[in-house]
Amino acid sequence: MRSLTLSHVARSFGEAVAVRDISLSVPAGTTFGLLGPNGAGKTTTMRMILGIIAPDGGRITWNDAPIDAAVRMRFGYLPEERGLYGKLRVREQIAYFGRLHGMRRPHDEEAARHWMGELGLEAYARLPCGELSKGNQQKVQFACAVVHAPELVILDEPFSGLDPANADVILHALRGLHAGGTTLILSTHQMWQIQEVCEQFCIIAGGTVRAGGTLDELRAAWPLRRIEVEPNASVLRDVLDAMPDLRASTMRTGNGVPSALVYDLPAEADVAAILRQLVAAGSVTRFERIEPTLQEIYARTTGAAP
Amino acid sequence: MNRIGVIFAAEFRRRMRSRPFLIGTVLGAVSIMLTTILPIVFSGVPEGTTRVVLVGEPVLTAEVKALIADDYTTVERLPRLDAIPTVEFLKAHHDAADVIILSRARDGLRARVYARDPSSFGSAFARRLGPLQVALATGLPVGDIKHHVIVPVSVRDAAGRFANVSSAKAAKGVAFLFIILLYVAILINAQVIMSSVAEEKTSRIAELLVATIDPAQLLTAKVLASGATGLIQLLVWVLFGALSSQIVIALAPHVEAIAHNSAASAISISPAEIAAFFAFFVIGYAQYSVLYAAAASLITRTEDLGAVAGPVLIPVLTGFIVAEFAVAYPENPWIAVCSQVPLLAPFVMFSRIAISSVPAWQIAASLAINLAAAVAFGLLAGRIYRVGLLLYGRLPSLRQVVIAMRG
Repeated sequence: MRSLTLSHVARSFGEAVAVRDISLSVPAGTTFGLLGPNGAGKTTTMRMILGIIAPDGGRITWNDAPIDAAVRMRFGYLPEERGLYGKLRVREQIAYFGRLHGMRRPHDEEAARHWMGELGLEAYARLPCGELSKGNQQKVQFACAVVHAPELVILDEPFSGLDPANADVILHALRGLHAGGTTLILSTHQMWQIQEVCEQFCIIAGGTVRAGGTLDELRAAWPLRRIEVEPNASVLRDVLDAMPDLRASTMRTGNGVPSALVYDLPAEADVAAILRQLVAAGSVTRFERIEPTLQEIYARTTGAAP
Repeated sequence: MNRIGVIFAAEFRRRMRSRPFLIGTVLGAVSIMLTTILPIVFSGVPEGTTRVVLVGEPVLTAEVKALIADDYTTVERLPRLDAIPTVEFLKAHHDAADVIILSRARDGLRARVYARDPSSFGSAFARRLGPLQVALATGLPVGDIKHHVIVPVSVRDAAGRFANVSSAKAAKGVAFLFIILLYVAILINAQVIMSSVAEEKTSRIAELLVATIDPAQLLTAKVLASGATGLIQLLVWVLFGALSSQIVIALAPHVEAIAHNSAASAISISPAEIAAFFAFFVIGYAQYSVLYAAAASLITRTEDLGAVAGPVLIPVLTGFIVAEFAVAYPENPWIAVCSQVPLLAPFVMFSRIAISSVPAWQIAASLAINLAAAVAFGLLAGRIYRVGLLLYGRLPSLRQVVIAMRG
């Protein structure tokens, strides 16, 4: 089973440490979300996987073997900063990147046509890329990253700058690649999209891994849960405030109900006992135990939320 | 096709279609044609001669016409003038350049010249009239005196390299031509290769490319494509030069003699010299190409191209200037040293080869040193290119580049 493994990978630029110590494993066929705030080391990590820069320490392997030029030919990359040859036509551009990854004529042209169809670019096939809208240029860039049917695709902020319709087109394409067995690594700040498409996640900050696993695993390992109680009555608030393990949450409520009382509590807390005490104290119209969202886990793991 | 081949093919196509290449090639070809043909079209006289109107006694003007025939074409002889000649007068008389009024004085011949361009009136005129001056003073026939006054001088090359003066002059011309061709080719190529690298850097394509291909291979493909387009450009210019010379001969058959001289001079260029020309051209081209590509990889904005191109331009200009001295003083020890120094040698060594007898070991040493330097520059440029492509923001200092290369 092919998989990507990073073991204690580190990289500094002069005095600045970009990646301190990162270890992670991406099983073959997985759609993997790499999360972290700006400067966390995501882009440096992706560049090291692609061999653009060499790690100072640690080991990166694909299928238990070091990644050499031949292996990299089977990788695809969509960098955060988009770049296309402005004067090159859409079809030629996509086919060119196919050839760069070892495709021969006419397969490069056929693959370019396929991806233009998938992404709704047929009408622009003969136009120079510089004449396309930003959204369409990003779709061309996406096609360039996947035209050679890579085994692993690394996408840095694939949805940035896309309108909802074009973001859906990319999401659909990603699902298609996933269904075809392609391993995908995504980095994005758009949590709802990454939560929808990724099966596994890795949250990094300060150049180290802070959390990792499936969303269920992340939730299971998360020490806090939240409850929402309605109505927002003082008698109920007094009961909750009196419980030593509970703390009024600083997070916004998941359903955005302003009238609810929102409290954080340990994951192992007896929720039924809390509900019984509340009911004994007064009228309760709604009581909900809320699982942490990826956004919450990310924000608190990286220190972006208190 | 391997990736170097893919990038070479794409680069080559892009360059052949690029405006700097097309404009440079066309302008170069047009310049060559114009500089070759226009003098003939405008003057209508053999190259190196000037149209003059001679005024004076018919006997005098006839003698003078014969004496100055090698340098001047006498378009008209007049016995006298009614007024001081003006530019309109010159235009009206076969568009002559000068009016020369000849008269006898007590101590000999006098000549007053009304020139359209006094600065270009040559001193050869007075020397040519020497025999006539003596003839007038002594009463002897000019034909007899001419042999006594003008001493036949035969110049031989001490090194036995050139058969005559015109052959040596032609060799100097070839050396100058080489210097100019290399200089122009390097400067045009610099613009093309820097624009290409800057486009990929500023549009962030570079990151995509280096994720696919080793930066050194990318640099190699670019330099090869740049060299191929450069050679094509050179070939176009040479073809236009040959075409121009044929047009000149067709327009002015009297130039054929000059063409024959040129052909004779061309024969003096040996196959070994042509090989040396090619070798030093390619080596020089490669040395500068990799350095310009590396320099361009450091910029984030195209506005910074001038700042990084400046330092590389210094050796180009130095090589150009030293090569001109090399044509005049090919045996000077400093020139000999410069003909071994990388970046300068491609300019200087060929100049020396074209006009003097350079020991074979010096040529071999220069080729070896400069080939090694081209490889070393390529490796150095590859490292700069590798880090430069990923450096964004302000133009990095030399220290920052060195740190990044070490990192």
